Amino acid sequence: MDFLIGWIAIIPSYAAPLLLASLGLIICERAGVLNLGAEGLMAISALTGAMTVLSGADPWVGLAAGSAAAMALALLFGISTVALRANHTLAGLAVVAIGLGITGVVGRPYVQKTFSGISTLGDLFGIDRGSAFGRIFAVQDPVTLALPTLVGALWWWLSKSRHGLRLRSVGENPAAADVAGIDVQLVQFGAVLASGLFCGLAGAYLSVATSHVWVEGMVASRGWIAVALVIFSRWNAARALWGALLFGSADALVPRLQAIGADVPVYLMMTLPYLLTLVVLVAGSLGGRRSGEPAFLGRVYLRQDKQ
Amino acid sequence: MTTALQQAGDMRQPLGTPAALLMRGIGKSFDGKAALRDASFCLEWGEVHAIVGENGAGKSTLMNVAAGVYVADGGDQSIDGEAISLRSPLEAAAAGLGMVHQHFRLVESFTVAENVLLGFGRKAAVKTLTDAAAIVSAKSSEIGLPVDPHKLVANLSIAERQRAEIIKVMLLGARILVMDEPTAVLTDEEARTLLSFAQRLSRQGHAVVLITHKFREVAAFCDRVTIMRHGETVLEGARVANVTEAEVARLMVGDALTVAGRPLSRPGDVCLSVERLSARATAHGQSLNDLGFELHVGEILGIAGVGGNGQEELVACLLGLDRAGAGAIVLDGQDISTAKPDQRREAGLRVIPSDRFDSGLIRELSIADNLALTTVASGSFGGPFLLSRRAMREKAAEAIDAFDIRGATPERPASLLSGGNAQKVLLARELDHGLKVLIAHSPSRGLDMKAAEFVRSAIRRAVEAGAACLLISEDLQEVMSLSHRVAVMNRGRIAGCRQTGDVTPEWIGGLLAGHA
Amino acid sequence: MLDTAFLVRRQNPGFLLTSLSYVGGLLVGLTVSAVLLVHAGVPASALVDEFLIATFLTSDGLSQTATAALPLVLVGLASGVAMRVRFWNIGVEGQLWLGAIASTWVALNGSGPEVLRLPTMFVLAALAGAAWIAIPLFLKLKWGVNEVISTLLLGSVAFLLVQHLLFGVWRDPSNSFPVTATFPEASWFLVLGWGQLHAGIFLVAVIALSIWFVMEHSRVGFYADAVGFNAKAALATGLPVLSIAVGLVLLSGALSGVAGMMIVAGTEHRLNQSVGNGYLFSAIVIAYLARAKPLWVVVISFALGAVFTAGNVLKVFYSISEAMIVLMQGAVLMSILMAQFFSSYSLKRPKN
Repeated sequence: MDFLIGWIAIIPSYAAPLLLASLGLIICERAGVLNLGAEGLMAISALTGAMTVLSGADPWVGLAAGSAAAMALALLFGISTVALRANHTLAGLAVVAIGLGITGVVGRPYVQKTFSGISTLGDLFGIDRGSAFGRIFAVQDPVTLALPTLVGALWWWLSKSRHGLRLRSVGENPAAADVAGIDVQLVQFGAVLASGLFCGLAGAYLSVATSHVWVEGMVASRGWIAVALVIFSRWNAARALWGALLFGSADALVPRLQAIGADVPVYLMMTLPYLLTLVVLVAGSLGGRRSGEPAFLGRVYLRQDKQ
Repeated sequence: MTTALQQAGDMRQPLGTPAALLMRGIGKSFDGKAALRDASFCLEWGEVHAIVGENGAGKSTLMNVAAGVYVADGGDQSIDGEAISLRSPLEAAAAGLGMVHQHFRLVESFTVAENVLLGFGRKAAVKTLTDAAAIVSAKSSEIGLPVDPHKLVANLSIAERQRAEIIKVMLLGARILVMDEPTAVLTDEEARTLLSFAQRLSRQGHAVVLITHKFREVAAFCDRVTIMRHGETVLEGARVANVTEAEVARLMVGDALTVAGRPLSRPGDVCLSVERLSARATAHGQSLNDLGFELHVGEILGIAGVGGNGQEELVACLLGLDRAGAGAIVLDGQDISTAKPDQRREAGLRVIPSDRFDSGLIRELSIADNLALTTVASGSFGGPFLLSRRAMREKAAEAIDAFDIRGATPERPASLLSGGNAQKVLLARELDHGLKVLIAHSPSRGLDMKAAEFVRSAIRRAVEAGAACLLISEDLQEVMSLSHRVAVMNRGRIAGCRQTGDVTPEWIGGLLAGHA
Repeated sequence: MLDTAFLVRRQNPGFLLTSLSYVGGLLVGLTVSAVLLVHAGVPASALVDEFLIATFLTSDGLSQTATAALPLVLVGLASGVAMRVRFWNIGVEGQLWLGAIASTWVALNGSGPEVLRLPTMFVLAALAGAAWIAIPLFLKLKWGVNEVISTLLLGSVAFLLVQHLLFGVWRDPSNSFPVTATFPEASWFLVLGWGQLHAGIFLVAVIALSIWFVMEHSRVGFYADAVGFNAKAALATGLPVLSIAVGLVLLSGALSGVAGMMIVAGTEHRLNQSVGNGYLFSAIVIAYLARAKPLWVVVISFALGAVFTAGNVLKVFYSISEAMIVLMQGAVLMSILMAQFFSSYSLKRPKN
């Protein structure tokens, strides 16, 4: 029981970065831009967030700074894919290389320096940790608390609002969007920047809210898992929530087992999220065509192409 | 030339009312290749105006310029007397011009109402889906084209999609309606409904442009006709009553054409028999149900029907690209229904697919490579290990000569060929000595008349030389002129089959009713 | 925005324009890299010294460059042959780790005659690499699972496997680092007596030549291009699409596996945690820059080998992180991708 409560309590903080990144990617891919750069975007924001906080700023400023850095890198991705029509897959990989490269080069002096991160609800409101309920809620932070609302809002915005309709039309049939007077490239640029914002929040959350320290390689393929989560969630923000919770649970299992001193093959256990991702990818593609995939994802739209 | 006709094309300058659409000296080139040179067009209010011409004559390009999709390199344009220079389709819509493209500008995963809502800009009065659905229903009953606003576009038939697109364009305020080959995907009955709608619309004071190459439609439903050839206007705005079909055809093509008839060979023994064939539908396709036919040596069996009724699936099954769910395919007494594509080729099956760059030629590869694709496996180019590019090039040079493939060298990528010449490459490869059964799916689609004629006579010669041909085409005239027998395909089955001499329009119309 | 109204795809950009945009992109990427290096503390005057003279024009440097290039050639070919059939093998590192594990297993549990030790390592490394890529290949063929993600994630899994072994049964108790014991010499490639260069160079030469022949002068390469450009047309013309794709993808995995063997048997002589580092992006960059052409893969691998060699020096003298190489690779890849715009599209505004 103790183990279970401890486990449940940390799942949201493991799920949050995956969820945030997936939401960003969903926005981006709904507009037709295939974004494989999440890993690089998260890496650069994790470092920027940590650097900002280490320089004495408030953790919330750290989150903002991290997002800004990721948005800057996303801007480069946008210029290459949206403006210069580069291959989305290769440009995404280049973004990952640049993100991981910059963090490795710049981050050296900041390795392993701990700092205090975002306050938990327990600190903020003095929640009594006596009950199971209290123990679970005391360790949450405002970000995890706000996430369900964010998911709901984003889901509504994408599927019900007129702006969501316009964004989705760009990813489904840019020629139709173009006729409707929608600036295809502008919408895609906006969507790419949004993915930068969200992946940035996700990366900065890892260092500023979860670990309170920066180490090289701390994103540890979470960006790629987010890419897979998008396929699993069928480009639907609400389903991404459940996917992220599933992965968060798997991810959180290892540290919990270690914490209670269980004798488990740690490294083998750590493969769990990756293997789970593969299983989920298979599950996502069962039952015929990959439903929900934007019809024009990853392709180049030119108005003057023969249709 | 053609002075009489030019006079018939009275260049009536507007006396009182300005022209709905006036285009003068329009030029447009793509990547250095001219598509329009000094083209002009004048559309009056209250008329249905046909633009006819061969494929590649520039009809669609000219109207795309009018609709703001392409920006012209030069020339003047005005709508209702006001000079305009359009930079986007939205600007054209604002000026009152709406175009129904061949590929509808509809988002398939949206409902009709959502598509209409999308079309309205941010500041428009229509803001909710409920409003959008209401005005769709209202417009739909007003103009007499029924459409369910709540249905997903993906679930609509082609004819319904077209109606949805027309309603969308009309709702966005189009007073000039341009339709690009709207009847190509319709049955005769559906086409009549659409064209009489166009006529009604013009009588209410709107202006309608109809891009087509069917003279029947021009004669029956249009007021004036403009003819284009090689990117130029060769006859502008002639009254339809003053021109004849022969004159129009001559102006379109530039010189007289001999029309190929049926092969002189008499059908012999059965060489391909298909029985009780069933197969799953491909994306947006139609499944095959219990389909069967027999094809004889020296015979062309034409399969008529509206596209999307299982033609693609039938070709895929015959070729072995899709595994048939059930049924037998017997070629020369040998059941090939489970054979792989290369085994079927070995048995003598050849194909001209409907989209030559989708499953026939490979755009990026050179012409020599494309010609060698099917024969490399036999070791004819350098044995089992070495691949002799030189032998491939030499073979290709011969084929280029033999089939008169213009603009080709063995090393050039196939993507640079014009449609007609690309089709010749395909013919050069497929009509080899191993040919027994040729499956020709819309072999002349998208070709100009000369190239189409070349393709048809090549097929005819092959059949006279002892092959058999299954000719699947939406072009009824093509089917009728070439085939010994005509079968009609509808909803994934052969609905009926007759000797060509016994075919009547009523018979075909009856079999096509309720197509997919 | 962005001149949507005037942008047209070029049908035939031609050799000159294509080369110009490629070289232009390369130069921009290299310039950016140079600026980054200078910014990180390398004096501009030392750049030519470190990257050209000390890597190609001194005996020591050249031998190091050649040694570093050996596994790079293999991973570059691995990425390239898969790219020819449009399979994105982003998991080269994973297959390399598996190859390293397999050959380490042979080396540590050495049984049988010693002459067969290296051949056994070679075969098992190739099989292990091929087996590791067989998983994503199967997932793609059977369920359409995107191979970019699956190959990459299996790379992470492979690294965790290595860690599991290095912190577990294979750990050399006499060493404070998580590494295996040094291999017996029967499992080493013969050292040729010129720097670290070893007999693996002959194996790499034979492999590279064979692949060049197969891809450029046999029907395999011809089929591969047809399959890669248009699999549907290839199938319709009766080509053995599945066998070609499966064969080349498995070959890709096998080549990566052999790269792992090349490193443990050639230079490290043991398995440690850094054996596979830095090959993921190297493989993609080499294959992309070489346009998946085997001979160009060799050329570009040598250039990148020089960068690796220089990187080692910079690490010691200017304490510049290995991540700098990844960053430079990213910069070059990105700038070439962007430069391609100028040969693929043309912008034509009307005169008025």
